[in-house]
Amino acid sequence: MAEKKTKKETAPKKKETAKPAAPVKTAAPVKTAAPAEKAPAKEQKEARIGVFLCHCGTNIAGSVDIEDVQEYAKTLPNVAHVDNYQYMCSTPGQGKVKEAIKEHNLTGVVVAACSPRLHEPTFRTASKEGGLNPFRFEMANIREQGSWVHMHDREGATEKAKDAIRIAVAKASLLQDLIPKSVPVEHAAMVVGAGIAGMQAALDLANAGIKTYLIEKNPTIGGRMSQLDKTFPTLDCSQCILTPKMVDVGRNENIELMTCAEVENVEGYIGNFDVTIRKKARGVLSMEEAEAKGIVGGGCNGCGDCEVVCPVIKPNPFEMGMKPRKAIYIYHPQVVPLIYHIDWDSCIKCNLCVEACGDKKAIDLEMQDELVKVKVGTAILATGYDIFPIEKKDEWGYKKYENVVTSLEFERLICASGPTGGHLVRPSDGATPKKVAFLLCAGSRDSTGIGHPYCSRFCCMYSLKHAHQIIEKIPDAQPYLFYMDIRSFGKMYEEFYYRIQDEGAKFMRGRVANVLEDPTTKNLIINAEDTLLNRPISLEVDMVVLAAAVEPAAETDKTRKLFGVSRSMDGWLLEAHPKLNPCGTTTAGVFLAGVCQGPKDIPDTVASSEGAASAASIPIHMGEVELEPYFAQCIEEKCAGCGMCVNLCPYQALSLVEKDGRKVMQVTEAKCKGCGTCGGFCPGGAIWMQHFATPQIIAQIDAFLLGGAK
Amino acid sequence: MHEYAFFLGCIAPNRYPGCEAAAIKTSEKLGIKLLELQGASCCPAPGAFGSIDLNIWYAMAARNLLLAEQMKKDIALICNGCYKSIYEVNEKLKHHKELREGVNEVLKGIDMEFKGTIDVWHLAELLYDPKICGLQKIRDSVTVPLEGTRIAVHYGCHLMKPKKERHFGSTEHPYWIEEMVAALGAEPVEYRNKMLCCGAGGGVRGYDLVHAIDITNEKMINLREVKADALTEVCPFCQLQFDRGQIEIEEKFGVKWGLPVLHYNELLGLAQGMSPQELALDLHAVSCEPFLEKIL
Repeated sequence: MAEKKTKKETAPKKKETAKPAAPVKTAAPVKTAAPAEKAPAKEQKEARIGVFLCHCGTNIAGSVDIEDVQEYAKTLPNVAHVDNYQYMCSTPGQGKVKEAIKEHNLTGVVVAACSPRLHEPTFRTASKEGGLNPFRFEMANIREQGSWVHMHDREGATEKAKDAIRIAVAKASLLQDLIPKSVPVEHAAMVVGAGIAGMQAALDLANAGIKTYLIEKNPTIGGRMSQLDKTFPTLDCSQCILTPKMVDVGRNENIELMTCAEVENVEGYIGNFDVTIRKKARGVLSMEEAEAKGIVGGGCNGCGDCEVVCPVIKPNPFEMGMKPRKAIYIYHPQVVPLIYHIDWDSCIKCNLCVEACGDKKAIDLEMQDELVKVKVGTAILATGYDIFPIEKKDEWGYKKYENVVTSLEFERLICASGPTGGHLVRPSDGATPKKVAFLLCAGSRDSTGIGHPYCSRFCCMYSLKHAHQIIEKIPDAQPYLFYMDIRSFGKMYEEFYYRIQDEGAKFMRGRVANVLEDPTTKNLIINAEDTLLNRPISLEVDMVVLAAAVEPAAETDKTRKLFGVSRSMDGWLLEAHPKLNPCGTTTAGVFLAGVCQGPKDIPDTVASSEGAASAASIPIHMGEVELEPYFAQCIEEKCAGCGMCVNLCPYQALSLVEKDGRKVMQVTEAKCKGCGTCGGFCPGGAIWMQHFATPQIIAQIDAFLLGGAK
Repeated sequence: MHEYAFFLGCIAPNRYPGCEAAAIKTSEKLGIKLLELQGASCCPAPGAFGSIDLNIWYAMAARNLLLAEQMKKDIALICNGCYKSIYEVNEKLKHHKELREGVNEVLKGIDMEFKGTIDVWHLAELLYDPKICGLQKIRDSVTVPLEGTRIAVHYGCHLMKPKKERHFGSTEHPYWIEEMVAALGAEPVEYRNKMLCCGAGGGVRGYDLVHAIDITNEKMINLREVKADALTEVCPFCQLQFDRGQIEIEEKFGVKWGLPVLHYNELLGLAQGMSPQELALDLHAVSCEPFLEKIL
């Protein structure tokens, strides 16, 4: 089953990663090598810089005196041409750049406009079309760092714009031609997390012909969606629509599914990620694994004989602890893959299961964790969410009063395959509740500092669904929904809201102050304010369901650090752009799918996963990616071969090699990220940081402090 | 011996002098010496003063704090209202520079300056804290165990809330004073809506007496349901509301509850062998006799 590139080895369980026996391929071969320009180029000819000022409508011109800045720019050294335009990024604006390059024989271009994050690529392309190497373009940010922050200080903003342009011109005068390198992209992808988001992304990638590793920390795929009973607003059974996908994932030839697995280490860059995966000891062999070990006809067939004899009884986490399971168990009958697994924390190694398993020899109580190395071109994180520990809001009495449950517990209690066979009961006495209160925004939209300030986005809709379910299942049932706003934003959602209103659910707009228990009946008294009728409410109900907030899954932080992905303020993973690049991250080649980026319902999760899969497949299908040529270069005649830089490099991109009888440093360009650590340190000044070279930076500092480029 | 400047407050010395006597005498047996805080004024009452002029509230509380700063002693007190004023103002002035400067401007008039060198404690939390006293010490000091009595606890709002500005853990389901009650040999009882206000705080009693005693009456109903022999609290103002409030409930609603209400220090005094006379229990509006009969 393992692919050619997959190297396996055993490692002690839950211990530090052992070093791989075989060395990992250090770097991808560079496809189009640039003409080596190792030494800082001497000025081929006198610098002639064109400066272009953007008004950005009134965004810049409203606070910066363009005319004044234009006159100033003309006085700067090396400036051969100055122009301005309403919108430099428009076609005529770019046309100005192209024409001026030819007309004035420019050697460098400075556009003073917005952030380079927005339009650097635009103007690099324009410079290239004008016949200039694109890396001879420099951007001066006079909008985000100028006009916008000094909106009411025209004089200050104008002076700051002059400074920014002077600095940019100084650098542009020393910029050199650079040629980006292309590296091949591994024809494989990885998806971390196999809930509905990860499954969908993996299926899309696999169906597009890409080998996909799907990594799941739990023993089965399916995630949160498999715990749900019905889905809103269509009310189809969650498992019924999910299991076909689970089966698809299980048998898709392009998907290599790894359950009980976690990402242990990530090295490399877009196109060439070397990922180490810890396959945690499951204790049970699959049929394939058994065959590989020469056990004919052996391995787990899911018969469950082991579970019957296991003497240990623990709560099943899949059932939110409301149903017992053994130390060897499966979450539910529809798990994929259908292989039992052992909970090592509760296993007493009595060997009864091994005996029950008999000739299949599927159970290995001495199994060790395994480290697997794979190489992928791109990766998608789909790590999902956890439920906010709502007991922290102790005014609602969760974990204090038996009949206060969370929505996920309610899902299991109302689900036909759940611990009660779909008969909703009160945990305290097993009675059928008639009056059930749903507390929305439990821990969401919470500014007390205990909960989360954001909207968890799907609680309104599933609470409406819950209200419908009890009306449908329990005669004379009365649901009460305590809400702040009902956010029924999706397709057919508002219609669903009206439907539930018509069915008789009662809606009270107001936050619940506290929930009290009647110690004798275990009924709950809800104290709230009805803000529509302007009066306090005190309502006695049989059961309270808290629509608890969601938060990033516990392991998210560890995983995101391995992949170099940031978090936004609210803790969710940070997308590259909230509107225009919601699936990408600031790390090239790493994408986000589903709730790990922010709360989403199932339709939005699936849509985001398909977006992430599409984005992740592009570099793979292109076959190669261009890396920005910001590499370190060794100036060999100055290099003393001391090797200090080699140790400093965080990316293992440098090494010492023999050349002409002495040692010099050599850069593996594909690994170099251009961080500048080596260049800043080198005692001999022998390292040239392309595009951020010492003379270029000194010129910028001089320009700023001395008021003119040298 | 841990020494503290003892901030008396107003209600304890004026209405329930037994609370004051009990606090000083019982603490001494537990290794806590309460020293007189000479020249102290009203805390001032957080609801009454704070609603009218916050600056005056800060400045007056700061003056009381400064008296203790001069003694170089932390403050201990026995009233939740005082706790709100003295504790909260101390914390706020310590952490908000602008506020501190404003208050110091006022204090200049009496040649004083707030420096923030001391802490403020409720005596109840000191008694509970094993580093200062702790349950075992309380248990050891008991000579007349309150065995066979069911005692309910009222925590009081100003002690526990706002949650963000307190450090007592759960503000909805606290149990530590119950533990202290159990240490005296009594059986602590839980009751419905334990954390409901006594009815008096925040100026409600002064503004709308009927509304205030309506809340008190609800507490009485819930307490009767669990057959409590007495109610204990750590706030003379709550005590006033529960004690005198029962007379007012009788007058206005015609219901007679007759539930003895005792400050925790009074209970502690009884358990340590102080006589009802020493504790001035005869000054309570509701007779403590039915309770005393059970233990003496």
